[in-house]
Amino acid sequence: MRRALLAITGLAAGTTALVVLKGAPGVGSSAQDVPTALAPVAPGGSAAPEPPSPTGSAPAVVTPSPRTSAKPTPKPSAERSAASRGGTRTSTSTAPAAPRTTTSAPKVATRTVTGPSVSYDYGSLQVRITLSGSRIVDATGIGLPLGGQSGQRSDDVQARYSGTSGEVVARQSANLSTVSGATYTSTAYQQALQAALDKA
Amino acid sequence: MTYQDTRAAGRRTGHSAPYGGHPAAPVPTGRPRRGPGGRRALAVAFWLGLVAAVVPWWLDTPAGSLADTADLLTAGGRITGLIAGYLLLVQVLMMSRLGVLERALGGERISRLHRDLGATLLVAVLAHMSLVVVGYSRQERRTVLGEVGALLTDYEDMVSAFAAAGILVAVAFTAVRAVRRRLPYELWRLLHAASYLTLLLGYAHQFSNGAQLYESGPVRTGWIAAYLLVVAALVWGRVLAPLVFNLRHRLRVADVVAESPDTVSVYLTGQRLNQIDLLGGQFFRWRFLNPGCWWQSHPFSVSAAANDRWLRITVKVVGGYTAELRDLTPGTRVWAQGPSGTFTAAHRTRERALLIAGGSGIAPLRAMLEELPPGAALIYRARTPADVLLHQELDWLAQARQTSVWYVVGRRDDPGPRQVMNPEGLRRLVPDLTRRDVYLCGPGGLVDEAVAALRAAGVPRRQIHLTAFEL
Repeated sequence: MRRALLAITGLAAGTTALVVLKGAPGVGSSAQDVPTALAPVAPGGSAAPEPPSPTGSAPAVVTPSPRTSAKPTPKPSAERSAASRGGTRTSTSTAPAAPRTTTSAPKVATRTVTGPSVSYDYGSLQVRITLSGSRIVDATGIGLPLGGQSGQRSDDVQARYSGTSGEVVARQSANLSTVSGATYTSTAYQQALQAALDKA
Repeated sequence: MTYQDTRAAGRRTGHSAPYGGHPAAPVPTGRPRRGPGGRRALAVAFWLGLVAAVVPWWLDTPAGSLADTADLLTAGGRITGLIAGYLLLVQVLMMSRLGVLERALGGERISRLHRDLGATLLVAVLAHMSLVVVGYSRQERRTVLGEVGALLTDYEDMVSAFAAAGILVAVAFTAVRAVRRRLPYELWRLLHAASYLTLLLGYAHQFSNGAQLYESGPVRTGWIAAYLLVVAALVWGRVLAPLVFNLRHRLRVADVVAESPDTVSVYLTGQRLNQIDLLGGQFFRWRFLNPGCWWQSHPFSVSAAANDRWLRITVKVVGGYTAELRDLTPGTRVWAQGPSGTFTAAHRTRERALLIAGGSGIAPLRAMLEELPPGAALIYRARTPADVLLHQELDWLAQARQTSVWYVVGRRDDPGPRQVMNPEGLRRLVPDLTRRDVYLCGPGGLVDEAVAALRAAGVPRRQIHLTAFEL
């Protein structure tokens, strides 16, 4: 019985230690801030509406078919893996100066800007906009929670706002009408969009 | 009173053993030692497995992503979930009666570990459930109960997962000693066997909802493989291996001999007995296939070293089941599982040994004596001279193998036992006590007392070997 108590204590201590090690704010903030600091700017010309890597990771999560009904547990992981991959990606293309020059030089070409991550009640999201000159031609939310009720809200908001014919492109601003039943997600999307626009 | 190498006074009922009451001629046994190596390897495997179970979470979770309380709670829930899943597999594996485990760990140690790990598993499962429910409810702004409802209705496979948790809690409750004692053994066993259902019911939700197991990939494959391995081990250890053993050896009751008014020896014969890898001190789980006994199996130590003609168990009649053994008729078929146990001469760390037996606890020690090198010592505690079992054999072994045997007869508070069962008394009988391995088998009170005295006399813990008197 003594050993059982020891084992249970070990379990509690181990779990806490793991969580604390991962959640350590020191490591956390820096890792989280990386994508904010450096705008991962896609090299000029490729105006692919389907952006390369970070969303590329999202479909990978989507592949297993039961996803539509299977639920949130994968949600944060998916969102996180997306975020993390975004993070690693940006940190590999470290030099912030070089892309910035490319963004400013050819004004007419389409360019893609990913805004900083905005966290809200169900997770966090980023908005990526594609600009042709100063006009928004495409927008998409990245890292929104998948699955479950929050996933449903994510889908609603995406459907209304994102895409080449979405409300963002129509209004050309972050002043969008809130999607009913998805207030938090809508607000977060608008904030993230505003942040992306500020950055562009 | 303390007798040395003498026959205890008093009567000895029953006739002497027909199948060689004198054991086979003492040949020096060149058995290889079985140290704690196997046990350590298994311990290492256990810890590696535990790490492997949690590593996917560690790799999947980017540093600093646990921003708020809900994230922290959910992360804790995931870790405990992975640990619980792993522990459940280990628990089932330990009960698989796999030969490797039974020989390296021994049945008693396995049941102790199973018990302790079971308590841990229960806590891990409860922690997993509560952390995930609270974590999700915070994330999704629901009440805790509302979240439970949502989990049950919106999520796949969660109903069966909750059922599995319920079964686990019920099983853990019946495993509490006080409850267990009140239940008939067979009912308790049946309830306990229901925990296999948790393996089945808890399986699906890990893959449909588990953040680490949801995506196909090496982690998911590995987890499924672990399940398959455990099930394979279960089938092998519980079904196939015993089947092979019993078809091969075809054990039957040969004779039942009264050793004392309340003790019987059951002799068994069979085929190819010389091929059984049996060490003195090990036990089998026996199932006597007659109308009264076939439905239960009980562990009894073999009370004579392996030979090619017979096996023997020596059992004190204490209850309904053991009373039935008295009435076994020769020819009854026997289904045996084993051998099991690390309570053997091969597991000693020093050359010499001291054996301390109480009452019918002599059985495994008697078998072991034949495999110990000359110079062993045996202290045999018995309440009355009539309780001294296998007396002739012990005296004969004492002579043939230069073993010192002391019969310490009397109640606990009688002068004889009081003189012996303390550090000084033990040291007086066996001066080189601390350089010997000590094997104890007997009623709990005696064993506790003897262990305390041995520890006080300076015998290191790893040199003290215990076997469960009743499993």
